[in-house]
Parts: sequence; C-alpha cells; structure tokens
Amino acid sequence: MAVLELLQDGFIRHAILAAFLAGVACSCVGVLVVTMRISFIGVCMSHAAFAGALLGIILGLNPTVVALIFTLLAAAALGPLADRGNFSPDTSLGIIFSSTLGIAFLLLSLVPGPKTEALGLLWGNILTVGKMDIIILAAVMLAIIVLLRLFFKEVQTVVFNREMALASGIPATAVFYGILICSGLTTVASLNAIGGLLVFSLIINPAAAAYQIAPDLRSMFFISALFGVLSGWGGLWLSCLLNLPSGALIILCSTLLFLGAVTFSPKKRPWLADAMSREPRSEICQTGDRNPEADLHDEPETDSRQPCSKSALMEE
Amino acid sequence: MGNNAYSILIKDVYAAYHGMPVLEGFSLQVPEGELLGVFGPNGTGKSTLIKVCLGLVPVTSGEVRISGYRMSRGSVSFVRKLTAYVPQSFDVDRRMPVTAGEVVMMGRFGRMGIFNRVGPGDQAAADDALHMLGVRHLAERTFGRLSGGEKQRVIIARALAQEPRILLMDEPTNSLDWESKKRMCSLIREVHMERKLTTLIVSHDIDLLADTCDRIMLMEQGRIIGARNPSEFRHCCRGHGHS
Repeated sequence: MAVLELLQDGFIRHAILAAFLAGVACSCVGVLVVTMRISFIGVCMSHAAFAGALLGIILGLNPTVVALIFTLLAAAALGPLADRGNFSPDTSLGIIFSSTLGIAFLLLSLVPGPKTEALGLLWGNILTVGKMDIIILAAVMLAIIVLLRLFFKEVQTVVFNREMALASGIPATAVFYGILICSGLTTVASLNAIGGLLVFSLIINPAAAAYQIAPDLRSMFFISALFGVLSGWGGLWLSCLLNLPSGALIILCSTLLFLGAVTFSPKKRPWLADAMSREPRSEICQTGDRNPEADLHDEPETDSRQPCSKSALMEE
Repeated sequence: MGNNAYSILIKDVYAAYHGMPVLEGFSLQVPEGELLGVFGPNGTGKSTLIKVCLGLVPVTSGEVRISGYRMSRGSVSFVRKLTAYVPQSFDVDRRMPVTAGEVVMMGRFGRMGIFNRVGPGDQAAADDALHMLGVRHLAERTFGRLSGGEKQRVIIARALAQEPRILLMDEPTNSLDWESKKRMCSLIREVHMERKLTTLIVSHDIDLLADTCDRIMLMEQGRIIGARNPSEFRHCCRGHGHS
C-alpha cells in the first residue's frame, strides 16, 4: 500500500525511471570497462565530468554541456596516454586522476554563494531529477544499446585482445575511443541522479558482479544491466524507507550484489563452471577416451633445452 | 624475382620504439609458399619484425610489401586481412566470458566488415579451423580455463579461420613442454602445407625452427646476418653443445 502511495508522486516515478535508465546505461558501459581492465580510466572520466559541471556552474553555463566537453577532452587525452605514454599507464592515469580531482575541488571552492547545486553534482540525488535529465539518460542508454547491437562483434574482439583485433583488420583504436566516449557520456548523463563521486561505482560494481557469473559476453551485458537496475531500485526504495541519501544507497546495493556474486560465483567452482560450459574436460573425449590431439600441456617448471646462442651461429 | 613474387618483401627498413631503434636497415624476402624461420636471441627485434609485417609498428624508412601490396596508411587495413597473427602470449583472465569457439570466430570478423553478421560461410570456416586443429570439442569451453597448449591451438585455429595467405607466428611454442612442442611443430607444418600458406615463424627455439621450417634466417641486433637450411642450423647448434 505504501509503495502504491509513493508511486502517486511524480518525483518518485521520475526517480524509478532514472534508476532504470542509469542502471542499464552505467552497467553496460561497465561491462566494457571491466573486461578491458580500464577501470581507472573511467574514474578519471567521472572526475573530469564533475570538474566540467562545476566550471559550468561558475561560468553560468549549462553544467551538463560543459561536463560533456570536459569528458570528451579527457577521453582524447587519456586514450593516447594509456596507449603510448612514456610513463607506465598506471603512472599517467594516476597523474590525470589526481589532476582532475584537484581541478574539481579547486572549482568547488570557487563556486560563489551556497554550494548546494555543486554538492548535488558530487553526491547526486535521484529524487530531484527532472524531465530533461530523464530525456538525456534515455538518449544515452538507447545510444549505447544501439551501438553495442551494431558493433558487438568488433567490441567482443577488442575486449578479448586489442592487438590481435587490430592485427586482424578490426578498427580497434576507433572501438577503444568509442568505449571511452560512451563511458564519458554515461557519466555526464548520470551526474545529477547518481553524483560525480558515486557514478563510477555504479559503472563498475554491477559489471564486476556479472563478470563472476556470466558464461559469455552477451549474457554478461544482460546480467550486468539487471544488477544495475536492481541496485538503482533497491537503493531508491531504501532511501525512501530510511530517509538516507539515495546515491550512496544505490552504490551500497550494487556492492552487496557484487559480494553475493563473488561468494556464489560458479567460476570459483571448476566442476560447476565445466557444467555451465556444457562440455566435458578437454583431455577426455565424450566417449571417455583420451583425446589424442588434446594433450598439449603447459610448460613444466624447467626445460633443459637451451636455445642456440647467436655467437655459436656467428662462428659458423 | 620481381617484387610481386614475394609474399613478404622488406627492404632496408628502419623501425623504432619510443625513439629506440629496433630494426636498422632490415631486409627480408619470403617467397610465396615458404615456411621461413627467423632465429635470434631475445631483444633482437624478432617480434618487431612480425609487427612491421602487420603495420602495428610504423617504419621510419624503407619499404614493406605484403603479397605485393605496399604497406601504407591506406592499405594497412586490407593487408591485415591477408595476414593472420599468432602472438607470443595472450594474457586472458580465467573468468573472461569468452568461449574458445567465439575466439575462433573472431578470426572472421576482420574479413566480414563492420555491419555484416556471421553467415553460414563464416561458421563453416570457423568449424573447419576448429576441426583442423583438433579443438572442436573445446568450442564451448571458457577460453581462459584452457591449458597453455589448448589456448595456443585455439589461437592458431582463429588465425586459420581468417583464411589468410600469410601466417605470422611469434614464439608459438613459448608456453609448451617438450612433448607438446614436438606435436606443435608437426601441426604447424601440416597447417602450412594443407592451407598452402606462406608462414613466418620468429623464435629462439632451435627445435621448432629446425623441425618445421624450410629455411632459417639468423637475426642479430635488428638485422639479418645469415641463412641456414634446417640441417645446417641444427648441426651448428649441436656443434656448439646444444641438443
């Protein structure tokens, strides 16, 4: 009954819709970020978006538009740094991360008057999202789903191994930058609802949970989206129930789902993982015989055979 | 022999990583249908040679031709569809949700073009490659959970699914034990013959090169410094105390 009463309110309906849209968009992008192991790039992007939105507030411009520009600039800078920086990617990203965070907090201190709007971007409040926020979230979510549908095979190949994808004629660099841009767009679209500090948890946690369970990439997108939406709705419900900040509760729900997935992951149980892959152990054929072609083993601890030295060959 | 008679033609190429020269005045000709080995110690530029053939490492000067096509910014995408690459290592998490069958099918995606879907021809090519490498029974298994040798064969199957003219292999026996290396040598030879490929293997594994290749080039500090046939190559290595 209480739930039905809540649904009478327009802002609750908006919040439910926003949780669904942000949950799906963030968790789909999260699958790409988690499988490509570029989580830190995403954290940098979310801080860049936050800094951009703050600059928008200071300059009296639309925070979403400025955040979008900042995020795209961050993607343009981060891609090459991750690819061919003179420092290790960790070092380069660490510098960018701390820089964007520093810029964000500097801009936060420069926001004139009450900082309510600025802090709202930091923590987010799904209960205050407007129609425009929902339209932007819906557009971003649809764009991501359409792009994934169109380019799934390219994405799958790049996610598996970028160099091999490039070597086989897949435009892997374009796909990589596309992933960075999608990550930025999702972050910007979710700023008001989830907040700049928390949005990246909603990107990572559902996808990381799905990673523990999914047998293939396609199902990982569905499971991640389900977890993302459950986190959003669960956090929203708890927020109404306990009168606590919605953004933080959404993230805590996604963390709980991740912990549950890790605990009950079939991939931690080889017998269950094998059953999931619907195949017997590779060394044994279905008939029970040993497969004569399937016994190429891993490297033993030592191999006494040494390669011929170049000097030996030179002397020849 | 004209330039187009060679599947791989590299003329006086210079290539560098972060300003450090790796290939210096490197030249190599691989006739069509040859199974060529390049031997050299670690750090001599063998992997860079493979990447130059794929356009993954830009050359600062010189000329690279693959199947007669000059490697350039405009042609690199097309050239990559003619060549298949078996990398030295592939660090894949055990939980990565990709099956061996999907990995093999990925070999088709570059040829298929961006908006095209997997068709019966693609499925047949992938099945054929799985069958040839004896890994059809692994198709539904998670790739990350396979053994080193199984992964290697799946990656070679992926390369064959691409239906390339040229097969480039970087240390293909790196993660295998002695018995598996022997099997891999005969498998590479069989694949090369059956598919009528031009194959380039770079390795520091004497047995792999001597057992598998038609000719072995010796590489040192970014240059080719000599050539041996397999028996000369093995003899020279044995003569210096290597079995």
